[in-house]
Amino acid sequence: MRVTEANAGRIGALAAGGGSSLAALAFFAAASLGGYGWVARLGGAGWVFALSMIILLPTLMPLVRERAVKRGRHSAAD
Amino acid sequence: MATTHEHHRREVTIPVAGMTCAACVRKVEKALKGIPGVQECTVNLSAGKAGVVYDEGVCDVPQMARRIEEIGYEVPAARTDLLVLGMTPGHCEFVIGPAVRALPGVRDVTFNFSTDIVSVEHLESVTPAAEIKKAIRSLGYEVHDRGEGEDTADRERKLRRAEIRRQQINMLIAWPLGLVIMLFTFSSYAPLDSFMPSWADDKPLLFALTTPLVLGPGRQFFIHSWNGLRRGVTDMNLLYATGIGAAYGIAVVNTFFPDAGFGGEQATFYEAAALLIAFIVLGRYLEALTRGRTSEAIRKLIRLRPRTATVIRDGAEVEIAADEVVPGDVILVRPGEAIPVDGVVLEGYSAVDESLISGESIPVEKSAGDEVIAGSLNKTGAFRFEARRVGADTALAQIIRLVEDAQTTKAPIQALADRVAGNFILAVHALALAVFLFWFFAGYHWFFDESTRLILTPYKLTDLEVFGFALLVSVTVLVISCPCAVGLATPAAMMAGAGKGAEYGVLFKGADAVEAMSRIDTVVLDKTGTLTKGQPSVTDVIAGAVSGEHLLALAAAAERNSEHPLGEAIVRAASERGAAALETESFGSLPGLGVEASVREAEARTGVLLGNRALMAGRGVDATALSAEAERLEGEGKTVMFVAADGAAAGLIAVADTLKETSAAAVRELRRMGLEVVMLTGDNARTAAAIAAQLGIERVLAEVPPGGKADEVRRLQEAGRRVAMVGDGVNDAPALAQADAGVAIGSGSDVARETGSVVLVRDDVLDVAAAAQIARQTMRLVRQNLAWAFGYNAAAIPLAAGVLYPFTSQIVSPELAALLMALSSFSVTMNTLRMHGYRPPARSAGGGGEAARERPAARLVEAAR
Repeated sequence: MRVTEANAGRIGALAAGGGSSLAALAFFAAASLGGYGWVARLGGAGWVFALSMIILLPTLMPLVRERAVKRGRHSAAD
Repeated sequence: MATTHEHHRREVTIPVAGMTCAACVRKVEKALKGIPGVQECTVNLSAGKAGVVYDEGVCDVPQMARRIEEIGYEVPAARTDLLVLGMTPGHCEFVIGPAVRALPGVRDVTFNFSTDIVSVEHLESVTPAAEIKKAIRSLGYEVHDRGEGEDTADRERKLRRAEIRRQQINMLIAWPLGLVIMLFTFSSYAPLDSFMPSWADDKPLLFALTTPLVLGPGRQFFIHSWNGLRRGVTDMNLLYATGIGAAYGIAVVNTFFPDAGFGGEQATFYEAAALLIAFIVLGRYLEALTRGRTSEAIRKLIRLRPRTATVIRDGAEVEIAADEVVPGDVILVRPGEAIPVDGVVLEGYSAVDESLISGESIPVEKSAGDEVIAGSLNKTGAFRFEARRVGADTALAQIIRLVEDAQTTKAPIQALADRVAGNFILAVHALALAVFLFWFFAGYHWFFDESTRLILTPYKLTDLEVFGFALLVSVTVLVISCPCAVGLATPAAMMAGAGKGAEYGVLFKGADAVEAMSRIDTVVLDKTGTLTKGQPSVTDVIAGAVSGEHLLALAAAAERNSEHPLGEAIVRAASERGAAALETESFGSLPGLGVEASVREAEARTGVLLGNRALMAGRGVDATALSAEAERLEGEGKTVMFVAADGAAAGLIAVADTLKETSAAAVRELRRMGLEVVMLTGDNARTAAAIAAQLGIERVLAEVPPGGKADEVRRLQEAGRRVAMVGDGVNDAPALAQADAGVAIGSGSDVARETGSVVLVRDDVLDVAAAAQIARQTMRLVRQNLAWAFGYNAAAIPLAAGVLYPFTSQIVSPELAALLMALSSFSVTMNTLRMHGYRPPARSAGGGGEAARERPAARLVEAAR
């Protein structure tokens, strides 16, 4: 999907969601290997996902938007 | 393409209400920068303003205001109601509407054709009411002020009151409910168990009590953080929301699914969620109550602006809005009225209180030809004056603008605080994640024991399992951290400092000026016009053969036609001392020597010579008897003139530039502060040394040409000194610009034109010491605030993360964390409010040897009431 100023927010959110899901999955896998119960594994994965979203969303969205704006300027200059 | 963008570049200042911490600043900045077309954006928390540079061909101000409101803040627009005559429904709204909406700061226009009222909601700082009226008039309509609108200050005040009221209501719900929930939660512990009913700690009951609290007063945190998150920005609300949400979520799961492994029924944190909300709401309430007070000084100045003026048009008195007065209008001012614009008195006589501008506590008498200044108060008589400077050009408007600029700019020291505060929330969430992972995978297994309890509570966490424990510690880290304090530390103190400066007639042109002024160790004072009055006057009359009065009368007659400053001083002294006015029959100027004149006294004529030794010697006058006196006076830095009458030496007249009344006290005060005082002058070394000796100045830089002053300042800086240059701001401009802090002694009405980073409204060098003292006090507050804010977070976050747990088996409860967080932010605000009671020693009773003066702005406000 081409990143534009209009869809930059959605793409940023998707990227943050993907990254957070990976972090939660990694946690779940590590907790499963450690022999933790289902509640701890699922609850922990949920908390890791929530915190990762909170960290990644405001970090990735401006980055994606900035890239889109730059690309827009280059296109206009061309 | 780039050139087109340059053409459309525009700068605006948008008021923003509802920001509570540095994270809010970052949130607003990010939101605005996210709008295509916005090129630069700086938000100031204390001033509640966003300075935006944008391409007006791409975006507009209403779009920015909408974006700010979308993320949960308010843009307090002013409402101006105008009586527009000649409108017809169905047509004129399509003529007036687009024209008014096209103005950059206009947000909305509504028409009431039954009353002929057009209500315009606009950002005053972008589009003032006068511009709207002008636009409608240009369409051919007659426009009158209805006077019922609200200016931005009114609207801001209303919003602040509404916020206080909202948090009051929240407190009324949160505190009683929170305390009941806490009592019920601990009802099975001694001593509560002796009188509390057994059903009190029933979990569904606690759920029923806590849920309205989370959905009521707690709802604001979830809404604000969601609004921010969906645009990719974070603020303090997110910390609150995650903390409250996690505590409440665990409690609900443990109530209805006790076997889920989250700690069971004994680990329901309803009281944590409830007290978290109660403490945060308390913090919000206290902040709303105190935040506005740091900017009180500027509001007092703004309130001095009269809204109406009585203008003489076609011989009749017409009352119009003050912002509609144009230069050239003749304005009538009655006793007790405030002067609406700057101008010159045409007729009438009165005493005017100008203490706001000049610092003169005694009302100044005004008659035809005298200047009057907007915002000053007419005390006794009525007079008419011609408007010269109106609107943004008036001295009062310039002072307000300077103070506002100082309050909205960011000091260099703030850069670090901004960087930390801006990324603080993300860092705290990252830390909370790390803490969770540590306690989940390692800490719990290494350190957990059954006697685990929360600090200051009897609440044991014996049944808490690994997930519940790690989550609790992680939530507490989120709740205890306080980026608010870090973000608020510098701007709040700067705001208070700039306001305090304005009260004492010291205008800092930006926060960096406050910081620079606080760091100076050397003060360079220009002699003429700064330490001295800049106008020579007669200091000594040494009479020989004739009386002193007669000598002065002869000299004055000889100099009557002279335009030389020394001659003018003699004529002025003769007039002031009541010397007889003698008739001059002939007068001749002798360049480089003096003057000669023939003066008529009754029937006799006297030949008068007035000049230097060379003149006396050239004309064969024996002045040896006066030589000793002449040398003594010259040694004191005075210019000595010999007077001869009919060829015989008659006496001496000494003229010197006299010191201002407060110069000696100012130098004493500056030295008492540990500053090195240097005098800079173009005069010869002997004169300079004499003046310096009178003032107690040890270091003198004499015979410095006007162009060399900046070089002298540079040389001092190269020697490692941090220099404040004090001058009149016109001749000394290069030196003022070169200095670390350029202090311009202003003449009140020309404040904005002066060069220099600090402007003293009064013509009083003692204010240099006051400026340095206010700046030092401001920076002291900044340092205290920053030390507290960083120190609090540095100590509290590790505590919440459980660093002491392995040794004490106790962890911080989320509610205690909330209390500490609220108190931290509140402490910074309270510490800053100490500036209100501060009085610079230079302006205190006895300070610098001068009696205390009243604070001009405050006193005028009192008078206006």
